[in-house]
Amino acid sequence: MKSGIKSEVYDKLAGIAGNVSNSEIENWQKQGGKIVGYFCPFIPEEIIIAGGFLPYKIRGTGSSDTSEADEFFDTKNCSFVRHCFNHALLGKFDFLDAMIVGTGCDHTRRIYDNWQVAPLKTKLVYLLDHPRTMGTEGMEETIITYYRAQLAKMKEYLENNFGVEITVPKLRKTIKLCNETRLLQKKLYELRKVENPPITAAEMASVLMAGASMPKEQYNEDLKTLLNDLSSVQGIKKDYQARLMIIGPAIEDPVFYSLFEENGGEIVIDDTCFGARYSMKSFIDEEAEDPLHAIAKYNVSDVPFCPKINGSHKNRIEFIDKMMKEYKVDGIIGQGYVACDPWGSSFGMLSAHMKDAGIPYLRLEREYISTETGQLSTRIQAFIETIGGRK
Amino acid sequence: MNTEIKVEEVDIYKELKTEFGGLGANSFQGKMQDYVKSGTPIVACTDDFFPELFEAMDLPFYFVVRQGLESAFHAGRGPEAVDGYDEFNGASTLCSLQKASAYLLVKDLLPKPAAIVMTSTSCDAQTAVNELMSNYGPWAEVPRISVDASFEKDEASMEYLGKQWIQTIPFLEKATGKKFDLGKFKEVCEESNKQTQLLFDFQELRRAVPSPIRAEWGFIAYMGCRWSACGRQEGTEWMQRLYDATAQRVKEKKGIDGVTEKIRYTWFDILPCWSDKLFPRLEQEFGAVNLMDLYGYCAPWPSIDTSSLESIFTSMAKRFLIGNPMTRQIFALSTVYGGDAVNIAKNFKCDAVIMPGHVGHKDGAASHKIVKDMFRELGIPFFVIGCDVFDERYMDPEVVYQKISAFFETSGLT
Repeated sequence: MKSGIKSEVYDKLAGIAGNVSNSEIENWQKQGGKIVGYFCPFIPEEIIIAGGFLPYKIRGTGSSDTSEADEFFDTKNCSFVRHCFNHALLGKFDFLDAMIVGTGCDHTRRIYDNWQVAPLKTKLVYLLDHPRTMGTEGMEETIITYYRAQLAKMKEYLENNFGVEITVPKLRKTIKLCNETRLLQKKLYELRKVENPPITAAEMASVLMAGASMPKEQYNEDLKTLLNDLSSVQGIKKDYQARLMIIGPAIEDPVFYSLFEENGGEIVIDDTCFGARYSMKSFIDEEAEDPLHAIAKYNVSDVPFCPKINGSHKNRIEFIDKMMKEYKVDGIIGQGYVACDPWGSSFGMLSAHMKDAGIPYLRLEREYISTETGQLSTRIQAFIETIGGRK
Repeated sequence: MNTEIKVEEVDIYKELKTEFGGLGANSFQGKMQDYVKSGTPIVACTDDFFPELFEAMDLPFYFVVRQGLESAFHAGRGPEAVDGYDEFNGASTLCSLQKASAYLLVKDLLPKPAAIVMTSTSCDAQTAVNELMSNYGPWAEVPRISVDASFEKDEASMEYLGKQWIQTIPFLEKATGKKFDLGKFKEVCEESNKQTQLLFDFQELRRAVPSPIRAEWGFIAYMGCRWSACGRQEGTEWMQRLYDATAQRVKEKKGIDGVTEKIRYTWFDILPCWSDKLFPRLEQEFGAVNLMDLYGYCAPWPSIDTSSLESIFTSMAKRFLIGNPMTRQIFALSTVYGGDAVNIAKNFKCDAVIMPGHVGHKDGAASHKIVKDMFRELGIPFFVIGCDVFDERYMDPEVVYQKISAFFETSGLT
């Protein structure tokens, strides 16, 4: 379903999201700019941008198979990692000057190991140690301080390898810049609270994805223009049967969104990596004396996080419950990749929570790129019809 | 077809196994039902926490994942527990051992603890169970402490972990009413150091050609010293007897009774719960002797520095991050994981290395090429199976046997 957005800037952002590379990246490089790839949202863009780099979130857009990556990763590894690594082996990420991988789940963490030995053009690869615990009373500051030290190491790595200086004023400036992005994205999300939102979930996802693949200053300007364009859009026709919230890892496959839209479901809010979780929660303190500490705090304590983080489930539930009320959600979709144990387990607990709360809940296990959609579509259709029958 | 071959143990090892059973029965875990009946406070924790603290505080504890092993798989109820977990609609590809542990938890089959202690390692599956322990059902309100372990292994990281672990003392005192005594703690740690040294010495003996004992003894020794009688004199004495018996066999150049050793290999993962259906057949058919597994392997495991409370915890952290089986290999770079396999192959004169490729070990699955390349360079045959070391329904042990047979044959080892 398309909303009928008539906006040049939307077309531009959708174009960026639809391809791995884009004209913004090409222009950036032509001007001598360097690009740093990264995998998980807890790797702070603020530091990368403060070094004068363009941060690029790795994704497997357009990938159709994993045959190259399967030499490095087993089929027991998730398809997100395999599609992304396949792209890397095919040279799709050759525009990267460096890569930062985090110590998140067992699958993405091993990207670091394999990147080092694979025949890839980008030789600089860094492993950022991110804490995997949150919410332990009395230990928060210890954990934040540890992550701050790890961020300082990452900063030094970038400084030493590229001869740049990442200063406190530069960090403050980029915190402000990224906070503005979050604020603008939040405004975009808020447009979806209404009965007939002017932008669909798939379109929204494209806009968010583009933001992690182009210079932030330009992106913020584009978001402002888009928000202005959307103010005059009448909104999608309210012919959907259910307002849905979707939870899980990033959704970067437009086919997956279309399965909901085709079956009468409208995803109005999410809790996904690089989705609402990134922009709806608190912002980084722009005035903090120690910006690195502020960045560390945001990523350790403030954002409801990846299920790989011990203690994150409680935060996730709070966030989901809050969003459900604000966005008038009729049902919840828990979607995750096959082989993703942290999300899989989290969905089991979420199922119990939703059952207790009497909220319709559907669990979907899928591959990163949808190939066999028939069964998924049938389950989604049945779920939406069930909700429709209850209303 | 009956594929099980009865393994005969020589008398001294029969005795040692009986004594090992006694250590287990006398352990906190072995007496758990008594504690439950008497209402004694119990601690539930992840298996990567050190038992020395509980021993020093005389605080009954159990490892949740060990319950999955003993109360489910060793009790013949593994498949039931795995299927039970799957009904809960959790992670379909979760490690079957963790599935079994999670099942016991959500079915209220584990003793309700007075406190929960967790550390953020080592694999995704452990995190999944940690989160269940924190959030599910009747345990939701149980006081808990969750400690963050660094992936980094430098001095600052050891201090980071040690500093957090110290916080478990006031936490446990408050949650259980038990008192901590530094002097007692030091005594336990010193006894634990003796056990660790014996584990190392025992490992050295196992390099002998022919191998004096089966690989399972490495795991049994680990369980005896770490799980059942950590820091207890009775555990040290038992370990000493195991060492002495094995040293005698080495001196006499005795190999495994009834086996003519022709192929020496390592099974680089946890020993399967269905070992009886595999290893004896390989011994009889090919003279193939398994020398080592992941839990039976003691990598550099630093002593506990008992000079102060801080030094104890920092050295515990060091031991944990760079020595603890599986944590060391999984919660580290692939080169450490593969490097250990290479060290075993070299030091134990292995003719071949078998990586079971346990379905739950996602990090291992992402390391196969790196490890394979290491062995290609060394010229040692290397094989990845892709089985489930706990749940034999995933890949029938007969299929595993056939695969290994073919591997031995095609590698020119037969």
